[in-house]
Amino acid sequence: MSLLRGGLRPPSEPPPGMAPAKPALERSGPHLREENTLLSAPVESRSFPERAAGATRDRFLQQALTIATTRFVASRDEVFAAFPQGDALRDRARQIKEAVLQRLDHYLEELTANVERAGGHVHFATTAEEARAIILDLARRNQVKLIVKGKSMAAEEIHLNEALEHAGMAVAETDLGEYIIQLAHERPSHIIAPAIHKTKAQIADLFARELRREVAADPEVITGLARGTLREKFLQADMGITGANFAVADTGTIVLVTNEGNGRMVTSLPRVHVALMGVEKVIPSMTDLVIFLQILAKSATGQKLSSYTTLVRGPRRPTELEGPQELHLVLMDNGRVRQLAGTLREALYCLRCGACLNVCPVYRQIGGHAYGDTYPGPIGILMTAMLRGTPAVKDLAHASSLCGACAEVCPVRIDIPRMLIELREHLDREKIAPWPERLLFKACGWLLGRPALYRLAAPLARLGQAPFVRDGRIRSLPSFFGRWTRTRDLPAVAARTFGERWAALERGA
Amino acid sequence: MTTRAEFMERIRREMARTRGLFPARVAERPADPMTAAELVRRQLAERWPQALERFRQEFERLSGVFHAVASPSEVPAVVGRIARERSARRLITWSAGALGADLGEGFRREGLDAVAMPDDPVDEAAARELRAINAAAEIGITGADLAIGETGTLVLVSGRGRPRSTSLLPEYHVAVFDRRALVETLEQAGVMLEAWHADPAGPMSGGVINFITGPSRTADIELTLTRGVHGPREVHAIFVSR
Repeated sequence: MSLLRGGLRPPSEPPPGMAPAKPALERSGPHLREENTLLSAPVESRSFPERAAGATRDRFLQQALTIATTRFVASRDEVFAAFPQGDALRDRARQIKEAVLQRLDHYLEELTANVERAGGHVHFATTAEEARAIILDLARRNQVKLIVKGKSMAAEEIHLNEALEHAGMAVAETDLGEYIIQLAHERPSHIIAPAIHKTKAQIADLFARELRREVAADPEVITGLARGTLREKFLQADMGITGANFAVADTGTIVLVTNEGNGRMVTSLPRVHVALMGVEKVIPSMTDLVIFLQILAKSATGQKLSSYTTLVRGPRRPTELEGPQELHLVLMDNGRVRQLAGTLREALYCLRCGACLNVCPVYRQIGGHAYGDTYPGPIGILMTAMLRGTPAVKDLAHASSLCGACAEVCPVRIDIPRMLIELREHLDREKIAPWPERLLFKACGWLLGRPALYRLAAPLARLGQAPFVRDGRIRSLPSFFGRWTRTRDLPAVAARTFGERWAALERGA
Repeated sequence: MTTRAEFMERIRREMARTRGLFPARVAERPADPMTAAELVRRQLAERWPQALERFRQEFERLSGVFHAVASPSEVPAVVGRIARERSARRLITWSAGALGADLGEGFRREGLDAVAMPDDPVDEAAARELRAINAAAEIGITGADLAIGETGTLVLVSGRGRPRSTSLLPEYHVAVFDRRALVETLEQAGVMLEAWHADPAGPMSGGVINFITGPSRTADIELTLTRGVHGPREVHAIFVSR
């Protein structure tokens, strides 16, 4: 049972320069630098059902999603099957996340003190706008021209690239998937595999166009090309921007988990390193860190550990030949803090491993873009509600069968279905949901609360459905109800319901 | 702009509105990390052969290449062979102090163009020159502070004479270590991290600790595993048994 009081409140800040509850800037690119780019970039105007329908008709996407999610799920299952202590560690990890939230102020103060002791600077951003302003100011003060970025969902969340480019700086994403997405002026469609929706042929064409040269549709060739192009940028860049998978309070350590090595480049070569993180990423000690490391990569990709786990403690030391001279850590709220006592508190445990996407029957059908915001998949619905307020997930809250697969694979056992139900409840209570939906739920609720009437309902329904049933299924219904049967069948009410059989059994006994 | 005080105040205000979801505790840290680390070392003094065998298996599963030699003086010959097979010549290495052995002469005898990283900071012109050398190097030689059996991971701490980029920029990374670096589990590595942190003169005085688990890799294009996207394409581990 939840000990939480208080419900969901609308966000204090609609993301500036964009309509609330809309993913913005789908197509703005580095070449667009006009004064009003941030304001006038086309936003996704299709509704969620339209986006989802489009995705299910995209044959390549369907194929790519099936292959990718199936493989991710298989790798994850395999590595956990060979790791008997995995379940106990997941319980420990969940406890640590909850314990940290119970003393969040303490750990953030400790983290701040220790980052400063190591020679770094800490900044505090309540809103996305503030986080952008802090980073922009750091870039300007350092006369930055070229920025290299490690993969960061937090940076995606605040549309950081657009803000920096708008200010005339060049930004290069360096995670291969993110780089592809940046060249294509798109958004990531999976938390850890951002370009999962693209074919190698599409990527080869994209590289050929953007880099003006012949490119074979071979992952090896494309990767080699990206290596060369981005290596130059690493060596020239004045500033590196990363997220943080964890920040260890008692040592002031920022932890980055990557496979490609771009996170290491970004934190080793440029003069200035800026790390942007949500406040919930803080953990107490190295002992806690090791617990998380044992389950993070296993959940994300099925690796025992990702290729690189980088622990950054402050800027370059006096004994070091290289490394940034300045290190800045930006601690960001952006809707998180008000969930400490809110319905979505548990979503603050999230490690961003992507495991819940791979097992979700809805994500597997529609992919990441259909969700329409930074964070896709089951956890993404909760994150979108957190960042943009409950009305923004009016449709998305229903993009789940509540099957519970997400909660089952979550390394910190986040009860995503429970929160989705609470979101739906809230949408109903606050009259945000459309009235037919509310009426239907009300009628169902009324009926379910009256067993005598409910028993009557079955024979009535059998009578009512008679004209529509064929082979035990209802394939099409008229008017409003046809919305259901347009895309799927409705099983007919059985000739004898379970309740009726049970009653017969009891009579017989 | 939000100040630290305002930011924390807001968090405290929200925290005060709830007792949380369930009673929970953070991980229990070793009460005395130095003693805990000593205990791990004592266990490993006997169990290191098992740890080494596990490391070799896991490391090879990651497509790492494992070599064993009897003494540091045999390292250059192994590196020479790796280099010749890959037509590589330009080599950078951690300083002799950081490696615990001066292999410079040995590398040169193998016909390698070897540059050792200086122990002390250099002026800007020299730093630029070093950077160019690092960027052009094909092979990077480092030590390893830990080698974790459970995951086949090499742990490298940056610091004096041990730059971060030696294990990152070249296509081939070769790490040299002996049995003192071996631990069996990530959990034991965690004890070491705690101990390093507790010891102000210990390796935590370095800016960055890297856990390296196999070569740089990506599967971002159609989930096809591709190695060497930004960091090394190949990682070699040379175990020195003496």
